Amino acid sequence: MPTEERETVTWPADGLVAVVKQDCPTCRLVEPVLAGLPGLTVFTQDDPAFPAGVADRRDDTDLDASLALDIETVPTLVRFAGGVEQGRIVGWSRAQWAEFTGVADLGEGLPEYRPGCGSRTQDPDVAEEILVRTRGGSLRARRLEIAALEDEAEALFDRGFTDGLPVVAPTPARVLRMLEGTSRKPDEVVAVVPPNLAEATVEKVAINAVLAGCRPEYLPVVLAAVEAACTDEFNAHGLLATTWGAGPAIVVNGPIRGEIGMNWAGNALGQGNRANSTIGRALQLVIRNVGGGRPQEVDRAALGHPGKVGFCFAEDEEGSPFEPLAQSRGVPAGRSAVTVFAAEGPRGLADQISRAPESLARSLAQGLRSVCHWKLPGGFDASLVLSPEHGRTFREAGWDRARLHRELDELLLLDRAEITRGAGGIDEGVPARASDRPVPKFRPGGYMIMYAGGGAGMFSAVIGGWAGGPGGSAPVTREVDPWR
Amino acid sequence: MHDFVALEGRGVIAAFLASTQFVVAAEAQAKALGYREVPSVFVPHPIQDRTDDELRALADAALEEVLAAVTRR
Repeated sequence: MPTEERETVTWPADGLVAVVKQDCPTCRLVEPVLAGLPGLTVFTQDDPAFPAGVADRRDDTDLDASLALDIETVPTLVRFAGGVEQGRIVGWSRAQWAEFTGVADLGEGLPEYRPGCGSRTQDPDVAEEILVRTRGGSLRARRLEIAALEDEAEALFDRGFTDGLPVVAPTPARVLRMLEGTSRKPDEVVAVVPPNLAEATVEKVAINAVLAGCRPEYLPVVLAAVEAACTDEFNAHGLLATTWGAGPAIVVNGPIRGEIGMNWAGNALGQGNRANSTIGRALQLVIRNVGGGRPQEVDRAALGHPGKVGFCFAEDEEGSPFEPLAQSRGVPAGRSAVTVFAAEGPRGLADQISRAPESLARSLAQGLRSVCHWKLPGGFDASLVLSPEHGRTFREAGWDRARLHRELDELLLLDRAEITRGAGGIDEGVPARASDRPVPKFRPGGYMIMYAGGGAGMFSAVIGGWAGGPGGSAPVTREVDPWR
Repeated sequence: MHDFVALEGRGVIAAFLASTQFVVAAEAQAKALGYREVPSVFVPHPIQDRTDDELRALADAALEEVLAAVTRR
């Protein structure tokens, strides 16, 4: 949007100022009253010829005076003395107007009272234009013009801004509304985004949040996720560039989950919830559009997975037998946080028979063991999303998250004879060694346990990760509240 | 490619080395980092399943090109 130099609107320092619109029945009702008030200045929002009979009648169809006077209702009558507002009244009330103007026999024959109408500044059709006019100057991003005959969605595909699905056009008004989701300044740098190591400002993240379809109240979550993903520990660069198919996933904890209407119940990892779907997508669009990470360029995934469009869900803290994941990772209770982690698509893990936690843990361990390759230990991270019906077994047995980790760690010590190259007729595996000591499937801290899902179904999910730890990617948790 | 840029920035002569599957990725990243052309050597793909002997053979075969890449300016 071009930054227009607009003349500063003024009115007399002393006297009465009225703001009206012809479209308002109450304004038309008081037309003769206005004509009879001495020394009155009237700003007209729609019809410059209205109201008749007023000497100092001023065209405010551009609404500059209405905005400057912060008008919400018409008619509004404001008294100034020495350039300072002394008071204002809205709508029509004969008694009030008489007292306010000091004219006793005001509006003879008019009804005693009529409410006012909404100011034009409140109209939805002009609110957007006003937003851009008053705050558009704070935006720094390069403006793109889309020709009148160009289809907006097609134009955004053609310019390469999309992940293959349609995006919401990031008009200045939409970006400004998105920015209302945070108190942070638009030009503040959130992170340096790989692979091109480009600075993502709050504004650029907001633009991608618009593209993704986010609501403004999701923005703090997106900002925290971008901050978390662009750390050395998470290594979004490596995760992008690897030929392995994982991408960044986000799990959200704390009060913000409910505030923005996230889903942690049925189909928790699936489609259908706007916050879940668009927050994950916004992070991926930041990596694409700010960082320059595109498939078949620096994104070298051989296969990838559908969740690379965006993968975000919330933990069911209320139903969980465990403390929230974010708390187990050092975030104080009651605070909102995101944890980003490398993720393949989820793999369902059925056990509809086990009632003993020991038996169920063995099933879960079998599923975790399949990550990357059944015979390969120590390299790849993973996550386990425990469903309510599996969680119940551990709750009833009094197992907390630490206990389940301990049991799984024990069950995930791999027998060297099973994983040596050639064992089981499979060449893949670890080189033969003299030692017969069991080998842990995961590095210490190499898998997380989360809790979400619908109340029926004895099915949990394993989410494979990527190479864990230094050189690979480690999960990173960041608080959301600093981004509000 | 970032390593190449970092090394060059420190005055260390460098070349980019990868397998042929990474030509497009290298070009995209080099372009994004402001390089029109980076001295690069691409060895035959694949890499992951190579035996040590096969890798040595790849390295030997690439040596002349690598030397040329770091000496040609």
